[in-house]
Amino acid sequence: MTEIAYRRAGALRGTDDQGRRPLDLTPPQKLMIFVLSMSMFGLSNILLEIIPDLTIGPFDLSVSYFVFVPLTLAALLSPFWVALGAPLGEIIFTDLLMGDFSGLAEVEGFLQMFLAIFIAGSVIRNPRNRAQIAVGAVLVVFIDKLLSAAVDLTKVWVGVEDAEYVEGLPESMLVLEGVGFGIDIIISGVLFGVLPALWLVPALHGRIEPLLGMRPRVPGEPIPGQAAASGWFVGAALMLSLASFFFAFLEAWDVSIGAFEPEYLEQYGTWFLWISVAAIVVLLGASILLFRRAQARPVAPAEPDRAAAEEEHVG
Amino acid sequence: MARRQRDVVSVEWVKLELIRAAYATRGGLFSRMDPRMVLLWYVIMAAAPWLTHNITVLAGLFALGAVSVALARVGPLLLLLFIVGLGLETIYILAVALLFGGNAETAVALLELTLKLGAVSTASMAAFVSLDPEKLSDALLSLRAPALLAFAVSYGYRMLPILVEEFNTVFDNYRIRSAPPARHGFLGIRTLVHWVKMAVLSFYPIFLNTAQSVRTTVESLETRGFTYATVDQRGRDIRLGYLKVTALDICVVATTAVLVLLAYLAGDQWPLMRRDFMSG
Amino acid sequence: MGSSTSPIIDLQDVSFRYPGAAEDTLRNVNLQIEAGDFTTVVGGNGSAKTTLCKTFNGLVPHYWSGDFSGVARVCGIDTFTSSVAELSSRVGYVYQDFMNQLVRPTVRDEVSFGPVNFGLADHAERTAEALEMLRITELSDRFVWQLSGGQAHLTALASVLAMRPEIVVVDEPVAELDPARALEIYQRLELLNREFGLTVVSIEHHAEFIAQFASSVVLMSQGSQVWHLPVDEAVYRSAELEDHGIPAPQIVQAAQRLGLQDTPRTVDSAVTALGAAAPAVPTSSTTTPPDGEQNGSRPSPGPESSGPAAHREETPVAAVQSVSHGYKTVKNDLRMVLHDVDLEVRRGDRLALLGSNGSGKTTLLKLLAGISVPRSGEVVVDGVSTRSRSAGRLADHVAYIWQQPQQMFLKESIRGDVRLFPAGRGEKNVDSLVEDILHQVRLAEFADADGRTLSGGQQRRATLAIGLAMRPSVLLLDEPTASLDIASRDSVIAMLEQLSGSIACSVVATHDMTLVSEWANRVIVLDAGRIAADLSPRELFDQPELLRRAHLVPPQITQLGQQIGMSPAPLTVDEFVQRFRQEQPLGGDLVETERS
Repeated sequence: MTEIAYRRAGALRGTDDQGRRPLDLTPPQKLMIFVLSMSMFGLSNILLEIIPDLTIGPFDLSVSYFVFVPLTLAALLSPFWVALGAPLGEIIFTDLLMGDFSGLAEVEGFLQMFLAIFIAGSVIRNPRNRAQIAVGAVLVVFIDKLLSAAVDLTKVWVGVEDAEYVEGLPESMLVLEGVGFGIDIIISGVLFGVLPALWLVPALHGRIEPLLGMRPRVPGEPIPGQAAASGWFVGAALMLSLASFFFAFLEAWDVSIGAFEPEYLEQYGTWFLWISVAAIVVLLGASILLFRRAQARPVAPAEPDRAAAEEEHVG
Repeated sequence: MARRQRDVVSVEWVKLELIRAAYATRGGLFSRMDPRMVLLWYVIMAAAPWLTHNITVLAGLFALGAVSVALARVGPLLLLLFIVGLGLETIYILAVALLFGGNAETAVALLELTLKLGAVSTASMAAFVSLDPEKLSDALLSLRAPALLAFAVSYGYRMLPILVEEFNTVFDNYRIRSAPPARHGFLGIRTLVHWVKMAVLSFYPIFLNTAQSVRTTVESLETRGFTYATVDQRGRDIRLGYLKVTALDICVVATTAVLVLLAYLAGDQWPLMRRDFMSG
Repeated sequence: MGSSTSPIIDLQDVSFRYPGAAEDTLRNVNLQIEAGDFTTVVGGNGSAKTTLCKTFNGLVPHYWSGDFSGVARVCGIDTFTSSVAELSSRVGYVYQDFMNQLVRPTVRDEVSFGPVNFGLADHAERTAEALEMLRITELSDRFVWQLSGGQAHLTALASVLAMRPEIVVVDEPVAELDPARALEIYQRLELLNREFGLTVVSIEHHAEFIAQFASSVVLMSQGSQVWHLPVDEAVYRSAELEDHGIPAPQIVQAAQRLGLQDTPRTVDSAVTALGAAAPAVPTSSTTTPPDGEQNGSRPSPGPESSGPAAHREETPVAAVQSVSHGYKTVKNDLRMVLHDVDLEVRRGDRLALLGSNGSGKTTLLKLLAGISVPRSGEVVVDGVSTRSRSAGRLADHVAYIWQQPQQMFLKESIRGDVRLFPAGRGEKNVDSLVEDILHQVRLAEFADADGRTLSGGQQRRATLAIGLAMRPSVLLLDEPTASLDIASRDSVIAMLEQLSGSIACSVVATHDMTLVSEWANRVIVLDAGRIAADLSPRELFDQPELLRRAHLVPPQITQLGQQIGMSPAPLTVDEFVQRFRQEQPLGGDLVETERS
């Protein structure tokens, strides 16, 4: 059979004027990214469960998580959907399964990780840029661990009655958290974050996208579901980090009622208690709403962002 | 050292443990209950310890948690992990606190924290070991959680054994085809680095292979109305039709409420606070 | 065909380009399929058969948001303006990797998933009906990971039938199933087609299934439709099909070589046709075909010498000594897979390991490779007990090729994968070794590609290259020809043939009877973890009871030979034709020329 010059006979359907299709995620693509990041991060956490932890004294020298796993997906596919899927994978695959489910603390952990991956993933504007990848990897651990260290400290402060009067406790907690934070940045952030990510992100760029039916991202091109430097996003991020504190508070707060702790109420007044409860309810509602809406459509990147990205691409 | 077939601490074992844990093959009280009521029960048990500093109450709640764990027939592995984790954590904080000049009072403060955390953890172990992923997923759906979350729960469990096996195969390939280090190095550090490197490198093929299978899965979900069901309510109603609160559910939740109340009453009667231990 | 009603599937000038791809995958396809038809789509690997079928249920272009041009009408609906959800009640799709299609834990949940999602009040009846149609009601409460391959495929099929579709698309059922189970799937599809008027579209490489079940055939090549013909005409164009990697069924080849006018579609019709041509075929006990004739000049142990407890001085290359092995189940009891197996593999053995799914083939291979060690008994390879060395060290003696090629692609390029082992062991001249091997498997031009981007046949050859670079004494292969089109399969078999020089012996676990008849010189049949038989391929096909027990279907030509009374049964078309002629008065002089 001879090769006849091939030309499309039918009219092309569903493109814009330039004939280029915008890099928008369809609902099934979002679902795929979500499921993939959930499975992959869950799997990596299971592996870490199997590996025995190395602890020297009170310091945990083990790997908290394989940062490079969600970071790679966030950099290549979509920070938002990966940020949603990955922490959920951790909760479902390891915490729930190993009976290690800590109730409300999971929500707190979810929000921290969500913020960390979302912001760090959005920092990577060019999946071939090594500096951006490195910054992204450290940023995930930095944001997540900073928030959780703060939450931990608060927890002891509030969970133990008059913690500041217990001798040695505040100092020891501060030291433990501080050193732990440093170790995490080095082990999880650099050894298991920066180094593998520097290899994996470029290796998978252009290879994994077609498998999911997506066009590989052109360097500098904004990817759908990227954190936009808009007022909207800063507001939402602030709100989420506050929420993560509130969840910590909820479980640690002296929510002492009635006759058991009368002196506490005298000190602060009941109104404070009810306001914090109300705040938590509102935040919970808001985050569920966000989650639902996000399912329905991608988070549109802000306009100035796109222009900036195009400049970057030209340059 | 001769190689032998191992039934524990092998990938096969992990896989089986996961399936066992996920599908609550051990039975137990809570696995017979309506999942929504189990969640309610959990909320009661998880909230109660945070409302007090009274050690008597906390001890009572901790005991209640321990009984629940027994009733839920939690497996020995999970129990062991829990006890070791809680114990070590306390010991470390205590050690460091003493280093900074703490005393017996610090120990009591930590006892309080340990009891609190322990009571909450036992409750969550009892509840979530008894809920198989399908039930949990249905309960979440019925409580108006996002459909994506409910799906993620049930799908995650189905996928996990397959993923673990896939990883095992790829890792075996690396193990066989890449050269082990010539010497073990100090404390076997070279071997350790080699293994860690293989585990990390395995993610390249795993990513691509999983992306391929996820594609089929999501296509199949799509053609069978998964997205449609998140918009249309009828599917949800059918799926959740079987959920029914029975006498057993009410009985368990009521008993728990009464016992929690009793613990608080006992605490009121015989209060034991940290300041009782204060020196001087 | 040729009915006056409008076709149920109607594609006009449909082209499609995947997002990010450089060129169109589908090119101006014009295709009409009538309601109630049983159509097979054929074409070589990479001819866009799967993409074509995904336009039927709207996955292209709704799920795959590439460039779509032209018009596709399914059941009168323009798929472009419709949605996957709307089309899914009309078109059901069963994937090639159907295990990934199952999304729920139990069979019943899986089948009812679609109807429940769409909120259909009669979901329970639909579920029961679909299970009943495929006679798998008794599987309802099983967990999906407990199912065998065939059961899982039926479950996937039932789950699309529960939507009561008008069209069912089945993508290469033979790829992941053993032939007996694939035949069963086809028989059920035929029933659905005949009794319920379901339109069936299947993607298929195996001409014998096409000839037996299809009513029309679509030939695809490079994204375009070459033709769409009724099956009788299609089968008649065997030369053209062969050009596209679909050699005619063996019985058709034999009929054409013998100059028959009709093209037989089943073994039975071939028997009738031959019976007319040659009324009395004598059972020839005198013409014993030379054994191992198709194995060339290699010194073959021959079937006689390879019986149980062969009397040979030479030490075996690999030995399995009273090995038992099993796995723990979820209920924590031990399920034994191999019971007290003894086996010696000698230099020059081309051993085919047969048996139904779950009979212990893969377990035995993994024990030979030292990936796991037996619970009791010993495995010795090259004089080394597998207990005494790690799997990594044993790799110097034995190479195991996994069934799923993509699990062996660890690096970004084929070259990197082939290099991994020799480079790590500090071999000299690694580069030239790697290049040589890549040339040997004809993959030099793809050396820099990721293995996953290659076609099925290329992927297998790449895994062979990985195995070769390990320069083992024993090469173990798990289903090396599964899910390949015939042309790719033949190239893999030819490659195995060539390799015999550099490897002492090979063991292949397979369901592929063509591989057995054309390549193997020794067959081990495993049945429920025990060695049921140790014989030559020719002896195997003379034992129908054994074949049935191991879920094996002999090649068509062997069946045909048996049915017209040839004994021992022929293994290849060449041999059949030659012996058939030999038994005719005029055929005797053809023997020598045929052989060369």
